[in-house]
Amino acid sequence: MIRKKETTGSAFRGARGTLVLAAVFALAVAGCSSSSSAGSSGGTQVSATAKQTIVFATQGLGSEGTATQAAVKAFEKAYPNIKVDILSLSPVSDVALQQLQQRFIAGSGTPDVITTDVVWPATFARPGWIANLTKFHPDASEFFPGQFASGQYKGQQYAIPWFINAEGLYYRTDLVKTPPTTISELVSDAKAAMSKDKSLKEGLAFEGDKYEGAVTAFQSFGGQLSSTSLANINNPANVAALKLMSDSIHTYHIAPQAVSTWEEGQVQAAWQSGQTPFALNWPYLFQLSEAKGSNLAGKTGWVPFPSASGGAPQASLGGDDLAINAKSTHQAAAWKFIQFLSSTSAQVARAISAGDPPAVQTAYTPALLSAAPYYKQEQVVFKYATPRPVSPVYTEISAQLQTMISSVLSGEETPSAALAATAPTVKQLQQTAG
Amino acid sequence: MTTQKPAATAGPALPARPGAGPRPGHARVPRNRQQFNLLAQDRRFGYMLVAPAVIVLLAITVYPLIYNLWNSFHNDVVTSGVPATWAGLANYQRIFTDDLFTPSLLRTLGFTVVSVTIETLIGLGLALALNRAFRGRGLVRAAVFIPWAVPTVVSAQLWKDMFDPQNGFVNYALGLLHLPGAHTTWLAGTWTSWAAILVADAWRNTPFIAIVLLAGLQVIPHDIYEAATVDGASPWQTFRRLTLPLLKPALLVALIFRTLSSFLIFDVVYNMTGGGPGSSTTVLSYLDYQAFLTQFDFGYGGAVSVALVAFALVIAAMYVRVFRIEEAL
Repeated sequence: MIRKKETTGSAFRGARGTLVLAAVFALAVAGCSSSSSAGSSGGTQVSATAKQTIVFATQGLGSEGTATQAAVKAFEKAYPNIKVDILSLSPVSDVALQQLQQRFIAGSGTPDVITTDVVWPATFARPGWIANLTKFHPDASEFFPGQFASGQYKGQQYAIPWFINAEGLYYRTDLVKTPPTTISELVSDAKAAMSKDKSLKEGLAFEGDKYEGAVTAFQSFGGQLSSTSLANINNPANVAALKLMSDSIHTYHIAPQAVSTWEEGQVQAAWQSGQTPFALNWPYLFQLSEAKGSNLAGKTGWVPFPSASGGAPQASLGGDDLAINAKSTHQAAAWKFIQFLSSTSAQVARAISAGDPPAVQTAYTPALLSAAPYYKQEQVVFKYATPRPVSPVYTEISAQLQTMISSVLSGEETPSAALAATAPTVKQLQQTAG
Repeated sequence: MTTQKPAATAGPALPARPGAGPRPGHARVPRNRQQFNLLAQDRRFGYMLVAPAVIVLLAITVYPLIYNLWNSFHNDVVTSGVPATWAGLANYQRIFTDDLFTPSLLRTLGFTVVSVTIETLIGLGLALALNRAFRGRGLVRAAVFIPWAVPTVVSAQLWKDMFDPQNGFVNYALGLLHLPGAHTTWLAGTWTSWAAILVADAWRNTPFIAIVLLAGLQVIPHDIYEAATVDGASPWQTFRRLTLPLLKPALLVALIFRTLSSFLIFDVVYNMTGGGPGSSTTVLSYLDYQAFLTQFDFGYGGAVSVALVAFALVIAAMYVRVFRIEEAL
């Protein structure tokens, strides 16, 4: 009997031992991954002349994707020792952001080069996820100043502009004689077009779904998001902008209730099917409208969206920057790739084939303007390009604004009540970010 | 009796003795030291074999649970670049005092009650219908169960397109039938959004309840129905006094699964409304997702997760209690 007890005892100890071992192993694995993510630099750097492969994480479908592949091929031809693998990110910007953040939090050394929306660099720079590019001495004078500043955090450069984007108002030149410069003109033009042409389903299309696009639309309608405005977003200009978004649906009836669920894709569909005389969207749509075979070719105009509060128009600044993963061991090669993508020739090629407006000012060459004359009109809109706040907590601020806009567009809250309710949270977020 | 089992397992490890035949002492308590060692060795080998599975289980279930619990007691915004600091119960205090958690909890509970009720009633009807003999029953059964084989994300996206105000099927069908609501922008209002979510969720999950209940119906012996008919019971009496009581075990299994998965609803909300308009369809798991993946606030998100698990356990415990009462009756 005593011996029997011993056996079960040792068996139990054995089982417990295995479990403890397994637990220690599991924790060790977890510990390794978290300790490696705590390391600050990318380890031993590979020289730019060595044979290597770098990974480039980027968004972009269709013509944008093709343009990226073409640029990569041209780069590989110029630098035969560097191979570039493309890692496709989600076309939905909020999802692409999460995909990048998850890789950074996991402490991955790839992707080496990333495409970052102009509102993300500060978010990536604060935890040390992307490399400080000041050491490569980028030339600020090449770029539009607003976009170059989007790559800065605490006075250091973390991202380089790739292509610029700004939201503007598309109008049908066959339905609207002169583009509106005030809101009342916009409303009356939209109403007039709708009553004249019964095939039109709405007078104005914009993206109002609960996502980042709602914030850029709000800004293009005249919303003030500078760092001083964020201290109290409940100001007259913001009330006017939010009220205009809401009124276009509920009072003027020029926008359908459905815009509160629309993203760029649906706005694009409404515009391209010819069912609206006005649409708020990004420059890529100009290239598509003017493309061969398009029923809108020669009928498309693009102007800054008139300000809701009557001030100077604002064109919400979008576009993409390029940055380098701080943990990448291929930073020299990655920088060569970034330099290549921001070279005039690569910028012009992308502008013509994908409709992405160059971030480099010298790329607006006569050759580009003759190949794609609409870039002349686009430059006018870019003049009013207004950046969203450069803040490490931008995502959180944006999430607050998205909920606020969504509740107003659906008619659940009045503009001033929604702004008053959201203002304290936004202020607090901004203060904690420092 | 209890001593036989270990000896039996030790058997195959013993060196084979050719020509020894069946060993009479084999099933008895091992006598000598060598046999003990072999027994221990054998056990060790067994534990080594299960160790990989145990390690994987610990790594993917226990470790995240503990890590999450740890998170919930810390201030940890991973995008802040600041190391996590001890927060005590601050995150829990936050979830019970802020204006996000409690409304989300109430919405989730409301949705759970309504969706499970509707799905159970329809599922029961489907199961009863499919249990009857008719031509082409196999085909109809397969057709009814197809939605359940569609991944939730896919069905949610599908229903989002169906509810599209301009190109969607729902408004087209309403218009065709001259019913009101043909011009509704479903996902722009609170109640219409909930209606759309309910339809999408019910379409995907009612078949599950129907499958489980159908299985339950099929094990009910036929002769008791014949006896009921002979006794002159009405169809309602048969259903109320025979079918329903005998179906209870299957019904409870279906209810437990559906209530828990309904309480944890995420995919449909994520795809169809993003928690909007405003935050009127923000359910608990969507709030948790936002905390983790938009704000990267692992402390607050951790507290919400722990609360989610706690509520799910309470729901499960409540059902288990109902089960026990049923057994006692």
